[in-house]
Amino acid sequence: MSVLRELTKYVLRSKTGRVGLALFIFVCLAGILAPIVAPHANDLHVPNRLQPPNMANLFGTDHFGRDVFGRVLHGAWLSLITGLLVSSISATAGIFIGMTSAYFPLFGSFSMRFVDALMAFPTLILALILMAIVGHASFANVLIALSVAYTPRMARLVYGLTLRIREFDYVESARAVGVNHMRILTHHFIPNLVSPVVVQATLVCAFTILGAAALDFLGVGVPPYIPSWGAMVGEGRQYIGIAPWLTLFPGIGIFTLVLGLNLLGDALRDALDPRLKKLL
Amino acid sequence: MTAYIIKRVLAILPTLFFVLAISFFAVRFIPGDPASVLLGDMATTQQVERLKAELGLDRPVLVQFGKYIVRVFQGDFGQSIIYHLPVGRLIWSRTETTASLAVFTMVIILCLGLPAGVLAAVKPNTLLDQSFLVIVLCGASFPTFWFGLLVMMAFAVALRWFPTSGFVSILGTGNLANLRYLVLPAVTLGFSNSALLARMTRASMLEVLGEDYVSTARSKGLRERTVVLKHAFRNAAIPILTIVLFTFAGLLAGTAITETVFALPGIGLLLVQSVMQRDYPCIQAVMVVVAFLYLFISLVTDITYALLDPRIHYGE
Repeated sequence: MSVLRELTKYVLRSKTGRVGLALFIFVCLAGILAPIVAPHANDLHVPNRLQPPNMANLFGTDHFGRDVFGRVLHGAWLSLITGLLVSSISATAGIFIGMTSAYFPLFGSFSMRFVDALMAFPTLILALILMAIVGHASFANVLIALSVAYTPRMARLVYGLTLRIREFDYVESARAVGVNHMRILTHHFIPNLVSPVVVQATLVCAFTILGAAALDFLGVGVPPYIPSWGAMVGEGRQYIGIAPWLTLFPGIGIFTLVLGLNLLGDALRDALDPRLKKLL
Repeated sequence: MTAYIIKRVLAILPTLFFVLAISFFAVRFIPGDPASVLLGDMATTQQVERLKAELGLDRPVLVQFGKYIVRVFQGDFGQSIIYHLPVGRLIWSRTETTASLAVFTMVIILCLGLPAGVLAAVKPNTLLDQSFLVIVLCGASFPTFWFGLLVMMAFAVALRWFPTSGFVSILGTGNLANLRYLVLPAVTLGFSNSALLARMTRASMLEVLGEDYVSTARSKGLRERTVVLKHAFRNAAIPILTIVLFTFAGLLAGTAITETVFALPGIGLLLVQSVMQRDYPCIQAVMVVVAFLYLFISLVTDITYALLDPRIHYGE
């Protein structure tokens, strides 16, 4: 789509955008190369436990003697997939809810109050409570909890934008000359919505990765056999006095990815129409 | 003005209703019924049935929901399953910690975010501006739990400047020195939450600095300091105030992770423990309290906004 090409062009033009993109690609590469570079990262070598960083284990070993470097590389997957899936799910759901609410005012006055109520709960607390409701720790449940927690913000954004786009002169003209609903939707609404939604999705992706890591850190996220940066920091916490590398390196992983996404989101936001900027 | 306030209060009622509905039905959706959870695994069916009748769980759902709303407004959230105490009292006993932490953090956010935003706006697109942006973005990209652990390692374990964890009441002992328990948690939370304020301050300052009356002030020969602080900042203050209030609302609730890392006995830690131990009345109560607080603060924000900015029409 031309809008996306436009956005990429802007990102590459700004310095922050380039750094952000580079960090993001770096983490993606780490995830892709993980199975090749460190195929045995999850193997237990208990006699070799809590070794400080050395040539064989660049980031040291954990309390089960597992290679922290390999596990950090593998952990990239979980964060990336969680971030991308949750931001796409909440963007899709948000567009659907936001647009229908703006199109059908009666439904909107009802649904937007519900969205407001959901937004009164801080996202992480909402996700934490949803995890308690769905019962057990699993990847799918983490996705559900975080998507439900982030959809209201997206729906609010799209709702506001749709109301605004509807008032644009050329949209009214199109309607006046009898262009059908479907064509107005695809030719006027969607192109106007894409950029702000992409920007918001980038930021939601960053928040989600932090949120998912926090759930894992607390031990209510994904089950322990999946290498997760948040859970690694959580486990490493007990050994922080004697083996700080257990905590340090997975945290750097989260930080790198989230910083990359934040820089990217920032560059995208700067590239946007200044009138739409205020809504984000 | 009174009409506007009444309208705003009325507009919040449907949202309030949904908050209550979400908190009520969320707990209903949890697998297993509260009565068996309360009594534990060893309870007989008869005991469970008796407790169900006592709690009114055998009544129709809508009747229960109605009773729930009445109880919430009476401040009665039931008994905690883990602590065997009224939940309202439990939350109240944790309020001091969370409130002091939130206030302390807010002070740090203001000290970091405001000057950073103003300075960045005064010298836009310079090295100073960009360094502030990067620092602030780094703050927003640290996972709080990880940053908290690093800060704890450096300043509590290695340097021994501050206690590693826990909290001793300031109001109870009258000892202000107990603030030292809050320094590291507040720094952790403050650093990661300054980004939004710094960015908003920069944006609204930039907008105001471009206005005609700022040029007039400058051409009158006023010192740059006076122009920036008296003419520009005052006018940029309204959107900034909104962010300050919302950040504060978020803090009161968003302390969960930080309180867990530093073992501070606040509302956030109470929530995390309740989720871990499936203490449903407690989860429900914290949900309601947090959401009410948020709605209250957003109401206050809207009203201050209208009071401060004469351009907002509240007559219609």
